[in-house]
Amino acid sequence: MSTNGTPTSNGKYALDLQDVHCYYGSFRAVKGVNLKLQEKKITAFIGPSGCGKSTVLRSLNRMNDLIPGGRVEGRILFRGKNLYDPDVDPVEVRRRIGMVFQKPNPFPKSIYDNIAWGAKINGFKGNMKELVEQSLRSAALWEEVKDKLDQSGLGLSGGQQQRLCIARAIATQPEIILMDEPCSALDPIATLKIEDLMRELVKNYTIVIVTHNMQQAARASDYTAYYLMDKSDRAGELVEYGETDQLFTNPKDKRTEDYITGRFG
Amino acid sequence: MSQETQPSDIGQYPEGDNLKHFIENRKRGGLVWRVSFQIATILAILALIALLYNIINGAFGYVAIQNKVDPNSLVLAMEENQMLSSSGTVSSEDDNELVDGIEGNPNAIGFFGYAYYNDNRDKLKAISVDGQAPSRETAESGDYPLARPLFIYSAADVMRENPAIGAFVDYYLTNVNSVIEEVGYFPISDDLLNEATTAWSAAAGEQADALQAYTANPAEVSDHDISISGSSTVYPLTRQLAIQFRRAGFQGGLDLQQTGTTAGFRAFCEDMTTGISNASRPINRAEIEACESNKRTPVEFRVGTDALAVVVSSENTFLENVTKDELRQIFTSAETWSEVNPDWPNEPIERFIPGADSGTLDFFAETVFDRQLEALTEPELIEILKANLSTGLLRRFDAEAPLVERSQPELVDLVLERVVEQQVVQSWELTESIFDRAEIEETVAAIPQGELQWRSWLTPAFLVTPQSSTPELAGIRTALFGTLWVIAITILVALPVGVGAAIYLEEYAIMVANPTLRRINAIIQTNINNLAGVPSIIYGILGLAIFVRAIEPITSGMLFGVSDPTTANGRTIISASLTLALLILPLIIINAQEAIRAVPNSLRQAGMGLGATRWQTIWSHVLPSAIPGILTGNILAMSRAIGETAPLVVIGASTFITVDPTGPFSKFTVLPIQIYQWTSRPQAEFRNIAAAAIIVLLILLLTLNASAVLLRNRYSRRLS
Amino acid sequence: MAVGASSRPEVTSQTDVDIKTQLRKHPRVGETLIETFLFVCGAVSILTTIGIVFVLAKESLLFFTSGGVSLTEFFTGTVWQPAIGKFGIWALMNATFMVTTIAMVVALPLGLAVAIYLSEYASLRVRSILKPVLEVLAGIPTVVYGYFALTLMTPVLREIFGDDVVQIYNTAAAGIVVGILILPLVSSMAEDALSAVPDSLRQAAFGLGATKLETATRIVLPAATSGIAAAFIVAISRAIGETMIVAIAAGAGPNFTFNPFNAAETMTGHIVRISGGDLSYDSIDYNSIFAIGLVLFCITLVLNIISRYVVAHFREEYE
Repeated sequence: MSTNGTPTSNGKYALDLQDVHCYYGSFRAVKGVNLKLQEKKITAFIGPSGCGKSTVLRSLNRMNDLIPGGRVEGRILFRGKNLYDPDVDPVEVRRRIGMVFQKPNPFPKSIYDNIAWGAKINGFKGNMKELVEQSLRSAALWEEVKDKLDQSGLGLSGGQQQRLCIARAIATQPEIILMDEPCSALDPIATLKIEDLMRELVKNYTIVIVTHNMQQAARASDYTAYYLMDKSDRAGELVEYGETDQLFTNPKDKRTEDYITGRFG
Repeated sequence: MSQETQPSDIGQYPEGDNLKHFIENRKRGGLVWRVSFQIATILAILALIALLYNIINGAFGYVAIQNKVDPNSLVLAMEENQMLSSSGTVSSEDDNELVDGIEGNPNAIGFFGYAYYNDNRDKLKAISVDGQAPSRETAESGDYPLARPLFIYSAADVMRENPAIGAFVDYYLTNVNSVIEEVGYFPISDDLLNEATTAWSAAAGEQADALQAYTANPAEVSDHDISISGSSTVYPLTRQLAIQFRRAGFQGGLDLQQTGTTAGFRAFCEDMTTGISNASRPINRAEIEACESNKRTPVEFRVGTDALAVVVSSENTFLENVTKDELRQIFTSAETWSEVNPDWPNEPIERFIPGADSGTLDFFAETVFDRQLEALTEPELIEILKANLSTGLLRRFDAEAPLVERSQPELVDLVLERVVEQQVVQSWELTESIFDRAEIEETVAAIPQGELQWRSWLTPAFLVTPQSSTPELAGIRTALFGTLWVIAITILVALPVGVGAAIYLEEYAIMVANPTLRRINAIIQTNINNLAGVPSIIYGILGLAIFVRAIEPITSGMLFGVSDPTTANGRTIISASLTLALLILPLIIINAQEAIRAVPNSLRQAGMGLGATRWQTIWSHVLPSAIPGILTGNILAMSRAIGETAPLVVIGASTFITVDPTGPFSKFTVLPIQIYQWTSRPQAEFRNIAAAAIIVLLILLLTLNASAVLLRNRYSRRLS
Repeated sequence: MAVGASSRPEVTSQTDVDIKTQLRKHPRVGETLIETFLFVCGAVSILTTIGIVFVLAKESLLFFTSGGVSLTEFFTGTVWQPAIGKFGIWALMNATFMVTTIAMVVALPLGLAVAIYLSEYASLRVRSILKPVLEVLAGIPTVVYGYFALTLMTPVLREIFGDDVVQIYNTAAAGIVVGILILPLVSSMAEDALSAVPDSLRQAAFGLGATKLETATRIVLPAATSGIAAAFIVAISRAIGETMIVAIAAGAGPNFTFNPFNAAETMTGHIVRISGGDLSYDSIDYNSIFAIGLVLFCITLVLNIISRYVVAHFREEYE
């Protein structure tokens, strides 16, 4: 079964995954993923629980390094450079490839510091106030918080917190933003706001989003990758990857069809 | 939106080389800090290791023991006395009497210098000892047990600087064999004599010829003095040669002393008051080092061999060879020959031995008996005690515990303590003992009658001996009993109260509706947390004021008529236990609360749902599930109580007690207080026993904590 | 009821009226007795506190009213010499603060560093070895630490700084060893505080390109400030109340000095020394230990209350 499905596109590739296998200790969680992520597009990773979609996402900015025993085989090319080459610094990778997490996790600092901190540690030189304002505007949060920048980020509502986290990621000027089920802890209205924001951000950034919510994938993404756990060795694999419209309306793979039509299981 | 303002307008992130530097700097900082965190952790571990090692260091090591009386001489005296006083023994300073006695008497046996036997070969028969027949060869090689080598020692520098000494040594070696048999010793073989002469030539070096000229004409070195000391065995030989040397013309000073081999070496090596040292044993390593530290390299000259012959009459047919052990019996306890060996006739032994003042008797006893104090039997030890202690003192010891009923080790200790008056005069830690061995030996060599001994301060005897003001005799028996009593009562009080309080707070307090009571419950909880932070010494002050003083009639036992007549105050085990119980109560409550809280609520609901009362539910369901946790917490509290010192010092634990506590109203001491007291003493030996006591305390605590862990693991497995 | 009916036939034979009487609350003497007993158990702790406060206050009152010692003199004097009627607590308090300060200089940085290492850097295996080691360290009785201070730390200090500089009894050795004693306390409390910081914050920091150090010191550490502060305060309180180490190693004579290499007696050390002898109940010495005890009790109580306040009121709510 081919796990390689790169849709035809004229755009450039932001990331190129070549035969990627992810391990936790001796357990192989994901096997043989080949995937080219389109630049300045939203790509959604969907699939049932345990299919490895989050693992793949976290391997894209080497967050997997932080899990004891976590390791990746294969190549993930970012501007022609393999992210897992020994001379690559994971710290710098994460600055270029930002991340937004499942639960909003602002730092217990002021809203201003939440944004400025990442910039500071990464050596940003320039007008910090401007950077903070611009990042908050980009995250569509400026109007709501401009009068209380010195208040704790923890005082915001869930949706606002998540947008603060997105603003925080933007401030380090990444090229790619990874979102790991960013709306799973939010109510529908906050979810919609985030989706609108994504459509705005994709003009400047490549976005990869993991979601459980198929409607969200269908609504918000340009491309969709469907993962499924291979029951024989419990390793996740990429089943189908293509333009969202095509994948949802005319899946090539029987398993994809089962999943999107709800016959999964 | 974000397209409206380009990021570069408001600032930028480092790129290219800048970025590289920037990242490198950050990583370097990270590494530096990471390493410092690791170093801090290693320091913490090192602290633990240092702490533990320091204790081991104090509990083991060398000690210098000083005997006021040499135990070997005691043994010797006792044995000689046995020999002289056994029935059928004739002793005489005149060897002819001995020969006459043995001659023609098949049941007679005796011993004297080999040379003397040689003169009477026709009437007497020398017998083998341990299978070695006496002869010049076996004596010289040392195979014959009753033989010892005779040496003189000097040094190259001494001989060169003092030609009189150089010449005398040469004279000695040249003439020794012509006089030695006259003195009563064996001459050495030509080989050995040549060896000695060669050694002399090597030491004399360029001056050899000049010195030999003086040997021929000693008068020429009369402006120098000769000073000799050392072995009393070699003394008569050296004396004979000195007389001849004088006759040959030497007119300088000639000082010859008999001080014993060891003292002779001390005078030669350390004090450098002599130029020649007589010795009946080879010089040892420490003595060589002592010499060399004074730039004297000792040179050894073998000059002869001393040997005793054990003789029987020529008519004796059954005795050809004896073992040392048989010799001992023949000359002491045995009355008939068959007693020693069934093959020998059942005839009385008739003994002919040299007198008490003779060195020959000493040598015989030393060689044949060769026993340490520790190897003597009980009657022998008692004999030593009787011979050396005043009757008054003996009566006192006999009253404490009849001497005849005491065990051999106890008697040995008594002899060491009272007769030998053995004392540890200095002690060294383990590290010093390992690394400064030479220095220690030197120090010990400087102590008169000093002896180096390896000592573990932690011995079985240490555990079962009561207190003593002499550190090497002190033990922790009373402290251990004190600790056991105090802890047992502490737990007996604290456990039920603590668990009761925890049950109340966890199971009842939350159900209370009455606002006043609710407030009281909240106060109780806060209060317990606060009490856990009160310094332990404050509890000591509380105990002093309440238990020791205010309720003295109760805690002294007066009210129950069981008070200890020697104290009759409140500084008793019960006061200590009550104080410690209050101290560990918060600990027990907090731990028990956690254990009770961990019991799932479903269990309570199940119990109550069946119509059980609250207490029934608690008793049959909650407590059984919580018991492992409660016990674990209890053991931890117990180890805290065992280690507590300060409050007990404050309530006035006695520090010097030699009788075991007998009940709650006894005065007492405990292990940590013992450690505190000993540590505070200035003498190093008390530090040593403090370290030994600490090891006992730590082992006790470790065992307790390990059992807590085991308990926890075992029950947590069962529950899951 | 229906279920019970089959197994309890007598219930079915009752009328409704009987049921009402059966269900009526009736006093259970046993239960009440037990509850009362348990309450008394809980109240013992209150009695202890009352006892402590009462005893300390009463005897201290005697001390101050016995004449000769005024409150002002007590709290401002720097000479403590009962023989000449001088009772200036600063002679003792100063030594206590010296020891505590030295202990904190040792224990705070080391304890915090160990906590950060354990919580942020160490692998599971290393942690599983180190934590028991620290627990062992914490479980060793203080008298053993006293032995350590006198027989190892003091000789080491004398080796380094010279015998003429460092006295045999000195606050430096005692302070350092008190520091080692409270190190496990600091590190374990601080580590608890650090570990309580949710992982999502660390992930967020890493996701922004922070290094491990930046994450640990600039996100996790500030987030755990309240817990760490509480650990520090508890440690200070513990150091002030520590007795055996100072009794053995710090010196046996009140001495107002700021030289850590000189002998000086702390409040706790003084109480131990005075009460260790055959103390007469009527002497001013006897009363004086209660006055010192009261001061000690108040200081440690205030510190403990502050630490709990800090934890309760400055804790960040993350969720």
